[in-house]
Amino acid sequence: MTPIQLFPKSLGKKGEDALAISWNDGHESFISWGHIRANCPCATCKEERGKPKDPFRVLKPSEIGPLRPKSISPMGHYAYKILWSDGHDTGIFTLEHLRSLCQCDACSKNTSTPDNP
Amino acid sequence: MQPQGSMPKLSLPNIRNIIAVASGKGGVGKSTVAANLAIAMAQSGKKVGLLDADIYGPSVPTMMGITGTVDQATTPLPLEKHGLKLMSMGFIVPPTQAVIWRGPMIHRALTQFLTDLDWGELDYMIIDLPPGTGDAQLTLTQTVPLNGAVIVTTPQEVSLIDARKGIEMFRQVRVPIFGIIENMSFFMGEDGKKYSIFGTGGGEKLASEYNVPFLGALPMDPKVAESGDAGLPIVAKHPESGISLAYKSLATNIQEELKRATPAGELPRLEL
Repeated sequence: MTPIQLFPKSLGKKGEDALAISWNDGHESFISWGHIRANCPCATCKEERGKPKDPFRVLKPSEIGPLRPKSISPMGHYAYKILWSDGHDTGIFTLEHLRSLCQCDACSKNTSTPDNP
Repeated sequence: MQPQGSMPKLSLPNIRNIIAVASGKGGVGKSTVAANLAIAMAQSGKKVGLLDADIYGPSVPTMMGITGTVDQATTPLPLEKHGLKLMSMGFIVPPTQAVIWRGPMIHRALTQFLTDLDWGELDYMIIDLPPGTGDAQLTLTQTVPLNGAVIVTTPQEVSLIDARKGIEMFRQVRVPIFGIIENMSFFMGEDGKKYSIFGTGGGEKLASEYNVPFLGALPMDPKVAESGDAGLPIVAKHPESGISLAYKSLATNIQEELKRATPAGELPRLEL
């Protein structure tokens, strides 16, 4: 039997801090904005994550407040692009990647990602 | 994958079906297949457009017998020939001039070709993609409401390797694959014997690997290249020849697959 192709039925916000996704397999995901950003798949962010942390890095003004998405746009039929409050917009989050970031109790037990060790 | 600016899905209400003709490998005859398929569809009474998405190496002008660039002040684009509406970078840039562009320019050119030109009502838009899985493919899959793609390959493993990459790309971006076309499948000698110059069964093997339809095999025929180079594709020049009938059968198979395919759903939006 062909496995069901993962698809979001609806997107919403869980309070001010998280994205909520209802999937076509019945699963309800929530993912904090911080967790999404910490797992941005763009080349720049991947490279940054690979570097040792600089404890003396001076934050830009746009980094002082909590990062929030300004817009979430569908990309074709397979992903979303997020424009963040600091202007970053180069990450394309595939549906599979978003699902892998789910922070519900059941999923959190099985995941190990940046910001969710 | 990197996005290139803001890319909302284009609205193309006058174009009923958009089909990409793709391959991983260059030189497998993708443009020949795209041009002849488009003509075969037009000969069945459909309104068909052919968009040459190979910005760096356009083939449609040569294949359609359009030499030199087009004076847009006197000749509106898309051009019309062999019953098709046609657009190619080759109509606006001389063949001796290299188009040296980075990805965002490719995106801009392709979206302008689709949205700024008056294509009129079309039953089918065939998009002849460049080889590979680069900017043109990314732009089209992210912004164009593609119904699906057909993959062209030749039988040998070196072509199948790259065709697999093309299939994986379309799978990843959730564009339905209507099937595999095996080009240069065999050569019919004057002695009446069938010669499998590049081996046999590659296209069917690939289709079976990915559980997608095998749409058909096209023979290797010097007349195909000759007619393409002369600006009159074989299906237009000899519509009743064996190879033209093979193209017509392929066109029918693709139209059937298109009817069967489940349209990919639009992703829900979130207004913030």
